[in-house]
Amino acid sequence: MADKEPVVDRPEDEEEASAAAGGEDEDTGAQVAPIVRLEEVAVTTGEEDEDVLLDMKAKLYRFDKEGNQWKERGTGTVKLLKHKENGKVRLVMRQAKTLKICANHLVASTTKMQEHAGSDKSCVWHAADFADGELKEEMFAIRFGSVENCKKFKDLVEEISESLAKTEGKETEEDSSAAGLLEKLSVTEKKSEEVATKEESTEAV
Amino acid sequence: MVIAPLPAMASLALSILRSPPNLTLTIVAFVFFLLFFQALPNQQTVDYPSFKLVIVGDGGTGKTTFVKRHLTGEFEKKYEPTIGVEVHPLDFFTNCGKIRFYCWDTAGQEKFGGLRDGYYIHGQCAIIMFDVTSRLTYKNVPTWHRDLCRVCENIPIVLCGNKVDVKNRQVKAKQVTFHRKKNLQYYEVSAKSNYNFEKPFLYLARKLAGDGNLHFVETPALAPPDVTIDLAAQQQHEAELAAAAAQPLPDDDDDLIE
Repeated sequence: MADKEPVVDRPEDEEEASAAAGGEDEDTGAQVAPIVRLEEVAVTTGEEDEDVLLDMKAKLYRFDKEGNQWKERGTGTVKLLKHKENGKVRLVMRQAKTLKICANHLVASTTKMQEHAGSDKSCVWHAADFADGELKEEMFAIRFGSVENCKKFKDLVEEISESLAKTEGKETEEDSSAAGLLEKLSVTEKKSEEVATKEESTEAV
Repeated sequence: MVIAPLPAMASLALSILRSPPNLTLTIVAFVFFLLFFQALPNQQTVDYPSFKLVIVGDGGTGKTTFVKRHLTGEFEKKYEPTIGVEVHPLDFFTNCGKIRFYCWDTAGQEKFGGLRDGYYIHGQCAIIMFDVTSRLTYKNVPTWHRDLCRVCENIPIVLCGNKVDVKNRQVKAKQVTFHRKKNLQYYEVSAKSNYNFEKPFLYLARKLAGDGNLHFVETPALAPPDVTIDLAAQQQHEAELAAAAAQPLPDDDDDLIE
């Protein structure tokens, strides 16, 4: 708060500015002296290093477990954003007009879209969401203006999560075969045990 | 009046209290103390500009619903009268940086006690709300305005006619004239449909900063951390989700999205 200077009246500036920004809204308010002076700052959306894969209007809900009901979270624009360098895809939704964040989480291999029973324009999913800057387990429902938009959204999320699952699957396979090799190298006599371990790991996958 | 010096004032008051007795000083310190604690309950200071916003108006006009809508996005249909006051910090990102309104959501119902001056003291801006479906709530606007202005002189005030989504209005836009007499800004709003819901805050921010070009900008979307979910947790999520998917979405019939 130290950088907030006590403010000097700037009536002439204010008049000009209000007139310019007034637009359709008529200003019938009294002339009041401003109480802070704010300098224009550089604006960062946090989305600068990402490509937009999808951008649609929608209404978002979160599930209130206590009340066993869906509650509105925001109406605005939902985006799927792919990072230009690490390739990660996330879902970011902003409230219209205030541009606040309603949802912000990665699309993971475990992200599974389900249909909503009452509406074919809606789908639901679970996420560890970071909208408020801290991770929170949430169940979301999203409703689009049309069945087609909902399908586009759902299909794209599923495509991303399936491709992640495949990549992760490969990595796991490589890991376990490497581990198998290591075991063979170090333990030559416990062959039966090794086989058992391998079977377990296959089941787990 | 900026909030920053207030903690300093409080500690000044404390130090005066500790010094040798001097009746005048003690009384002054005591008054400071009262002002400080009444005006800022649980109000943590932040390193960006913050303003005390007093929201008044008759009971049931939608003050709490309006604030809640901004806080969580939800639209609360159930009416539970506010008792006393609830203070909610509400942040906005603007082209001039982040700002905060401490929203003093006050009880509109007389039976819960009229508003004491403490609610108004150090108010830096205000919203007076009425319900366009109830003529009486508009009739009472002058009283709220008078009470407010008795304590807060020359602060920007927005008059809000709420519930404009309702078809049977009792107060038509043309009938709203009070703001012209008293030099207030007027907005027709709907907490239900979000019509003009950002306008009161935008107007007040512009007035407080003396910058008519101030506007809201994107809140920076930080990179969310990676999360690993084990199989058991995932199965549980899917089961919970299946149950949730069977619950209806609120007002599924509206046409907010084209």
